[in-house]
Amino acid sequence: MIHNNLAMMFRERAERVQAVTASVHNMDDVFRYVIDQTLKENGNTIVAPDLDALQLQKLEDLCQASGLRLLHPPFRNHTGDIHTALTGANWAISETGTLVLDSGSEDIRIATMLSETHIAWISASRIAPDASALAAYLRGKMASPPGYMAFITGPSRTADIERVLAIGVHGPQRLHILVMEDDPS
Amino acid sequence: MIQTAQDMKTYRKKIHKALGNQFLRKALDNFASSYKASRVKAFEGIDLEALRCRIADNKDHALPHLESLFQQFKEKAEAAGAVVHLAATAAEANDIIAQIARDNGVRAIVKSKSMTAEEIHLNDHLEAEGFTVTETDLGEWIIQLRHEGPSHMVMPAIHLSRRQVGGLFTDVTGRPVDLEDIDRMVKVARKELRPAFLAADMGVSGANFAIADTGTIGLVTNEGNARLTTTLPRVHVALVGLDKLLPNLEAALDILKILPRNATGQALTSYVTWITGAVECAASSTGKKILHIVFLDNGRLALARDPVFSEALRCIRCGACANVCPVYGKVGGHALGHVYIGAIGLILTYFYHGKNNDRAIVRNCLNCQACKSVCPAHIDLPYLIKQVYGNVLKDDGVKPAKNTILSFAMKNRKLFHGMLRMASVLQKPIVQKDAGVLRHLPFVFGKSQDFRTLPALAETPFREQWPSLRPRISEPVYRVALFGGCLVDFVSPEQAVALMKLLTVHHVQMEYPMGQTCCGLPAVMMAETETAVEVAIQNLQAMSPCQYDYILVLCASCGSHLKEGYRRLLASKPELAETLKTFQSKIMDFSSFMVNVLKVDPQKFVQTHTSVAYHSPCHLCRGLGVTREPRELLRTAGLNYIPCADEDVCCGFGGSYSLDFPEISAAILNQKLDHVESTGAEILVTDCPGCVLQLRGGMNQRGGRVRVRHIAEVVAENLKPR
Repeated sequence: MIHNNLAMMFRERAERVQAVTASVHNMDDVFRYVIDQTLKENGNTIVAPDLDALQLQKLEDLCQASGLRLLHPPFRNHTGDIHTALTGANWAISETGTLVLDSGSEDIRIATMLSETHIAWISASRIAPDASALAAYLRGKMASPPGYMAFITGPSRTADIERVLAIGVHGPQRLHILVMEDDPS
Repeated sequence: MIQTAQDMKTYRKKIHKALGNQFLRKALDNFASSYKASRVKAFEGIDLEALRCRIADNKDHALPHLESLFQQFKEKAEAAGAVVHLAATAAEANDIIAQIARDNGVRAIVKSKSMTAEEIHLNDHLEAEGFTVTETDLGEWIIQLRHEGPSHMVMPAIHLSRRQVGGLFTDVTGRPVDLEDIDRMVKVARKELRPAFLAADMGVSGANFAIADTGTIGLVTNEGNARLTTTLPRVHVALVGLDKLLPNLEAALDILKILPRNATGQALTSYVTWITGAVECAASSTGKKILHIVFLDNGRLALARDPVFSEALRCIRCGACANVCPVYGKVGGHALGHVYIGAIGLILTYFYHGKNNDRAIVRNCLNCQACKSVCPAHIDLPYLIKQVYGNVLKDDGVKPAKNTILSFAMKNRKLFHGMLRMASVLQKPIVQKDAGVLRHLPFVFGKSQDFRTLPALAETPFREQWPSLRPRISEPVYRVALFGGCLVDFVSPEQAVALMKLLTVHHVQMEYPMGQTCCGLPAVMMAETETAVEVAIQNLQAMSPCQYDYILVLCASCGSHLKEGYRRLLASKPELAETLKTFQSKIMDFSSFMVNVLKVDPQKFVQTHTSVAYHSPCHLCRGLGVTREPRELLRTAGLNYIPCADEDVCCGFGGSYSLDFPEISAAILNQKLDHVESTGAEILVTDCPGCVLQLRGGMNQRGGRVRVRHIAEVVAENLKPR
C-alpha cells in the first residue's frame, strides 16, 4: 500500500516534468516497451549498459527480430548513434519524480547522456519518499569512491531563451520511466 | 568585457538606456509576476521557514571552519584520485587552471555554467593563453557569442529576445534560423555544441556543493551540459568558491531542497550530479578521469571572519534577490550588478571586484526588503548593502554633499526642526495653496523630479499644533505616545490629527513627546551610521517608553526602523539595552493597534462602502510583518477593499533613493499607479506618509482621479458622528 502511494506520487511528479511513465510487471514488458518506443521514434539503435548477459541476449534477439541494432560497449565508440538507452535505476524519489542512478560506469553515463531517448525501469519497492530518506545510501556510495551519482528528473530542459521551456537541449530529449510493480509471488 | 559604471553620472546614463529597452522591461515584468506565483507553488507543503533557518545555521557553522573543511575535503578527494588546489586570488586560480591545461596537452575546453568562473574571468584568461573555450550552457553560450556578462545568475541571457538569439544563431551557423521558433534554436545549440563536447580535452565546471567529509562535489543543472562536461573530456577541472564547502551530505540536501524551488520554482532541476574522486574515463590514458578541484579564496576567508559581512557567504546563488527586486525588474542585471547581480551582487562586488565597480551600483537599493524576504539563507541583504555603501564612502574619503548636510542638521534636533520651519516659510511663494503642493520644484531637485508633485511643508507642524490640540481623557483605557516622524510632523500633520480623533473616541490618552526627532532611517540609507546612532539615543530618551502602554507609529518606515533597526545600531550600548527592549516591545503600527488592541467595532463606523485599493508599505508588510490588520481595518471601517496586483511591491519612494534615481523611482511608481487605476477604486489607501507622498505626487502628476490617503484619515472620516 505504501509502495503504491509512493509509486503513484512518483509517477505524477515525474509526469509534471515531462517524463512519460508506465507500469510494467517484468523485464519482458520492459524489453517490449523499449523496442516499441524505439520503432515508434524511427530510431534504430539501443544500448543497455546494466543488463546481465542473459537478459542482454534476450534483448538482442528481440532487437534483431525488429530490425534494430543493439550496440555494445564501450559506448565511446558510438557517441553519435545511440537512439535509445535502457537502464535501471538504483532508487527513485517520489517527492520530485526523480531517478537515482549510480553512474560510476562510463558506459552508463554515456548511455544516459548522449541518447535521444532514455528509458529507465525501477521497482516500485525502490521508491523513497524524499532525498533525505536516501541519505544513508548516498553517503555509503560517496564514502566508497570513486563515484558518479546522478539524480535525473525529467528530460533535459532549458528556459534560457525568453524563459520558454524547451526540452532536450543537451541530454536526452525524452525520458520514459517504467515502474515495475512488485511481483505478487 | 563587463563595463560597470564607476561614477553616478555614467551610471545614470546606463540606467536611462536600460529603462528605454522595452523588451527588457516586458520580459522582466512577466518574469517577476510568474516567478512569485511559481515560487509559492513550489514550496507548498514545505516548512520553508524551518528550512531557511537550518540553511543559515549550517552555513554559519561552516564559515568559521572553511580552512579545516578544505583540509578535510582535500584529504578525502585526493584519496579518491582527485588533485585539490587552493587559489588565493582570481589570478592564481586562472594560472592554476591554465597550467593544468598545459600539463595535460589540452587544446579545446568546454565549460558548464559557473558563476565562480565568471568571477575570475576565466574564459578571457584561457583564451589569451591560446586555448579554445566553449560555454555549453545555452544562456552562457549566447552571452559568450555576444561577448557579454550574464544579466542574471540563473538565467544569464534573460535580457535577450528570441529574435536577437535567432539572429545571433543565424550569424554563427551561417544558416538562417527561424526568429520565432525557440525550440528550433535550442536544437541548433544541441547540434552545434555536441561536436565541441566530443572534441574537448578538458571540461571546466563549477560546483554548488563541496562536501568535506567525503570529498564530493555536487552540481545542480537543467540542460545536461554539466554531465557531458564532466564525462566526455579526459580532464575535469571544477572551480569552487571556498564558501561552497559543507560538512556533510545532509547540509547539501537541505540546500538542494530550497535552491531550485527558490531559483526557478522547480521542485528539482533535471540533473543533480554528485562526483567523488576520479571515475573511469576511457579517453584518459590511465583509464581514470584526470580530476582537479580548484578552490577559490579571492577574499572569502577574510569575509568569513568579518563580524558584519560574513553573512553574505551564506549565499547559495539562487538569484531570487534579483527576481523580486523592483529595481532589477526595471533595469535588469547589466545595470544592477557587475559580475554578480541583484542584491547579493551589490554586496559581493565590493569584496570580489573592488570598490570602483561597486561605487555607483551599491547606491541602487530602495531598501524595500523584498530580497531579504525571499533569501533562502536569511541574509539581511538591504542592511549589508547599506554597510557596503558605508565602506565605499569611507574608502573614497569623499561624501555626497547631502550626507554632510543631513548629518550636520540631524544631530541637533532644534537646528533640524528650525531648518524645517524656515523652509516652510521660504517655500511660500511656490506653494499652490488649495492643493498643498509645490507649484514647481526648487531648482535643487532638477527636472528629473518632475514625475511627481511634491507636497508643501505644513504651515504649522504637528508639534506646534499639539499643545492646543492635546485631548485630556479621564480614566483612559490606554496611554499611548505617538512617534510622528518627520513627514507626519512637518508635512502631513492631518494624519496625526486623524489618529488623535480615533484614539479620543476610543478613550485612549495620546501624548506627543516633544523631544522626539527623525527616526534616523535617512541617515542609515545614506550610510551615516554615527548620526543614526545619535538620533536613536535621542529618541530612546525622548520617548520615555516606561510611561506608555504603546508607542504608535503612522509611518511604517519609522516603525520598522525603531523596532528592528535600533537593535543593530545600539547593539554596542549595553547601558541602553533595558530601555531599548521596553521601547521596542511597545512600538506598534496604527492598524495593529486598532485591530488587535482596541478591537474596533464596525458599529462605530458609517458603512460607506467606498471602494479602496491598498498599497502595502515595504516596511509594514516585510519590516514589521503586518499584512492582515490594515485590510481588516478597512473592512471594519465600512470601506470596500478591492485587492490590487502587486500590493506589496515598493512604490519606488525609498526616501532619498527617489532623489538619486528619479527615473527608476518613476518607472516603479507608474506601474504601481497603473495597477491601482485598473481596480477602479476611488481611493488608494496606505499606511506610511512616505508612500502617500510618492503615490499622491505621482497620481497628481498624471492627473489621475484616485485620491491617495493615509489609512488613519479614511478610517477617522468614517467614524459615526457622536
